[in-house]
Amino acid sequence: MNGLIALVPIPTPNMDLGQIAPLEIVFGAALISVLVEAFVRREGRRRVQLVLVFASLIAAVAALVGLAGTRTLTAQASVAVDGPALFMQGTVLLLAIVGALLIAERSIDPAGDAFAPRASALPGGREERELTAAGWSQTEVWPLFLFCVGGMLLFPASNDLLTMFVALEVLSLPLYLLAGLARRRRLLSQEASLKYFLLGAFSSAFFLFGTAMLYGFAGTFSLGGIADALSGNAGDNGLVMLGVALLAVGLLFKVAAVPFHQWTPDVYQGAPTPITAFMATCVKVAAFGALLRVMYVALGGVRWDWQPMLWIIAIITMLVGVIVAIAQTDIKRMLAYSSIAHAGFILLGVIAVSEAGIASTMFYLAAYGFATLGAFAVVSLVRDSSGEATHLSQWAGLGKRSPVVAGIFTLFLLAFAGIPLTSGFTSKFAVFSAAIAGGATPVVIVAVFASVISAFFYARIIVLMFFAEPAEEGPRVVLPSAFTALALAIGVAVTVLLGVLPQPLLNLAQQAGIFLR
Amino acid sequence: MNAAIPILTLGGLAAFFALLSIITASIVGPRRYNRAKLDAYECGIEPTPQPIGGGKFPVKYYLTAMLFIVFDIEIVFLYPWAVSFDQLGMFGFIEMVSFIVTLLAVYAYVWRRGGLEWD
Amino acid sequence: MTGLATVMLSVIDTGEQITFWICGSLALIGALGMVLSRKAVHSALWIAMTMINLACLYMAQGALFLGMVQIIVYTGAVMMLFLFVLMLVGVDSSDSVVETIRGQRLAAGLAGLAFALMLIAVISRVTLGDVGTQGADAVYGGNLQGLAALIFGKYLLAFEVTSALLITAAIGAMILAHRERIEPKKEQKDLSKERFLSGEHPGSLPPPGVYARHNAVDTPALLPDGTLAENSVPASLRARGAIRTVDRALGDEVQQLAAGDGSLEGEDLR
Repeated sequence: MNGLIALVPIPTPNMDLGQIAPLEIVFGAALISVLVEAFVRREGRRRVQLVLVFASLIAAVAALVGLAGTRTLTAQASVAVDGPALFMQGTVLLLAIVGALLIAERSIDPAGDAFAPRASALPGGREERELTAAGWSQTEVWPLFLFCVGGMLLFPASNDLLTMFVALEVLSLPLYLLAGLARRRRLLSQEASLKYFLLGAFSSAFFLFGTAMLYGFAGTFSLGGIADALSGNAGDNGLVMLGVALLAVGLLFKVAAVPFHQWTPDVYQGAPTPITAFMATCVKVAAFGALLRVMYVALGGVRWDWQPMLWIIAIITMLVGVIVAIAQTDIKRMLAYSSIAHAGFILLGVIAVSEAGIASTMFYLAAYGFATLGAFAVVSLVRDSSGEATHLSQWAGLGKRSPVVAGIFTLFLLAFAGIPLTSGFTSKFAVFSAAIAGGATPVVIVAVFASVISAFFYARIIVLMFFAEPAEEGPRVVLPSAFTALALAIGVAVTVLLGVLPQPLLNLAQQAGIFLR
Repeated sequence: MNAAIPILTLGGLAAFFALLSIITASIVGPRRYNRAKLDAYECGIEPTPQPIGGGKFPVKYYLTAMLFIVFDIEIVFLYPWAVSFDQLGMFGFIEMVSFIVTLLAVYAYVWRRGGLEWD
Repeated sequence: MTGLATVMLSVIDTGEQITFWICGSLALIGALGMVLSRKAVHSALWIAMTMINLACLYMAQGALFLGMVQIIVYTGAVMMLFLFVLMLVGVDSSDSVVETIRGQRLAAGLAGLAFALMLIAVISRVTLGDVGTQGADAVYGGNLQGLAALIFGKYLLAFEVTSALLITAAIGAMILAHRERIEPKKEQKDLSKERFLSGEHPGSLPPPGVYARHNAVDTPALLPDGTLAENSVPASLRARGAIRTVDRALGDEVQQLAAGDGSLEGEDLR
């Protein structure tokens, strides 16, 4: 067929490697991390991995700072380097560093870190006991973690739907695995992993389906190209509506918005607590980054079609999140429903469709992320002989036994509730005012109502911790090593700082809040 | 499309032959059902009874199959690259080498951890 | 552009249409069969049929390479992995029949139906622009070359990042299914020591009996004193009591031989 046609050379793509330096650093480190798993002796692996992970994450932050102010499309316009992308990437990286501190902790559990010594061993079997006694650990957690962070860096910066899909998978696949590696309550953890995997694969299929629909309409994957096609063709095309809806399902699943939230409580409860903390924060940041980019850059032209849909989703997400959270008796499940409710609050920034909306969403994500990491860090400290004591009744009177830890947890709960002088107040205020300016006043009224309900159940836990009598055989609070202590300190510092002095970060978010097309 | 016609024809012929054999056998062949016919064939002796539920099989099989798929997909990418090697030029070569080297890392991991051993 | 599109839509050859209706229906039947069949192995076979038909559709639309990849990777590798795992694990159909949440199936069915209706309603009023691969194929001299230009050009980053996906998959398989050795592998020397120290029969077991008349694994060998060597018959047969008794007449001869009666010797050897 092509014998007669002269071979046309395929043009060489030009890639400015400097502009995606943070991505390259993290993926490069992930590769080296795999090689470390292959060639470093078992005894030395953990140390080498820790050095590699923290060095690469810090180097990536440095590279990101070097890119500040850049506004360009790179890698054949498949990656956007603009304000929101850099801000989201920075947030992901900083949260990932704190998350890595929690993952690295191994003095809380007497048996070692939070992960099973070998995921393939029969839960509770002889092999597992022997391996635990011998001090084995699954250091593959680190390469998986790095790949996940790499995917999270690419996801909010992808400028075409194909790259975005690959990034979505790169960030999801390691999480499915990590969720199933808990040392304690292995069966629950494996169940969580399987549920997350099945539902996640299903939602990825929706994302892909939506991508195909939009490609069918626009003939391109590029977000800018889709926007151009939309502005040229204002007529109602079924492909667009279907594409928008299906794409939104895939993205809303990742941010855990109702009705795509079913996996959240089970997975948050079953996954090892450091992974839950990492998942609850970084995935939300990356997924909201991608959601904002798709909705604003590609689908801004049909905003009147998707805005009402997101209004409804934001409302039911907030209400279901806070109402179901009241009924929870497990602290991890309670935090899971609280994170669902917060997804609803963050959606307020998305439906504002304005620069203030982008800025407030980004600020909210940063503030919420650090408080959540801290809250899960506290959860990992309260233990009894069988592991973490997550039942709420076990937390009764915790404030009398360990006032410091209970006080820190109270601070995070107050931030979640949006009490003034914490980061939660500033961020809620920012998204609410952005949403009102964007004409979503009814949704904001619901949001205020939901905040009041949420304040009730957060306050209930505070009352339980400080005013209830401690149980006889209650759990104890373990003294953590420097890793968790540092993570907690960062969480507390950021939560207070963003509450008292939010202006610098708000300004940064406002400066960054313009998408590049 | 034209290139697919011989393949599809061959596939169709194969399917036709398979269907023909099965249908012919079911029409022409005698039907004598007995226990021996339903038994598994085990070198002429009475087969060892299977444990109820099929028993356990080594999960190692899954590992081998999974690794096969991973490297199978790697090879899928090699094909369009090889076909348009001349058009892609040096840069295409570098890209493919970097892709393969990347996957070599995980191959090294699997090999060092004994994932390729069957014992 | 629209003029071209309508022209192209009208001249889609009937051969492609026939392929579409046949393969499309078969793919749909396969998908339904996958969902509705009660046995997991049947489901796997149904979905293999769906995938082959999808591959035919791709090929009919001019994406020959994609069709082949679909067959090689999905039907060939992934589906066979499914089938083998299903057959080896022996998934029981009773596992999936139990409904953990009441009314789950009904709700799922209704939701699926509603989704299908929505898809049909929307897709029926879709307007398509440029269709077909001819235009794209012509640029670099073929379908594969065009694909290469996309993979190694525009979507280079996505392609390289795909390797992260493959690496994660391989690590995941290793984590979930591989048991690394805790102790070094036993050498032949260790095994032989172990065998002798265990106090059991150290060598290989005696082979079954070999007789002029009969030769099978269920026939025990005879020891020099004429008694049966029970362990020359496989343990599974022994457990079932399926040991064939030795022809006693022959046994008598053997006993005579053992007793030193030489009168039979010459005769037998001949």
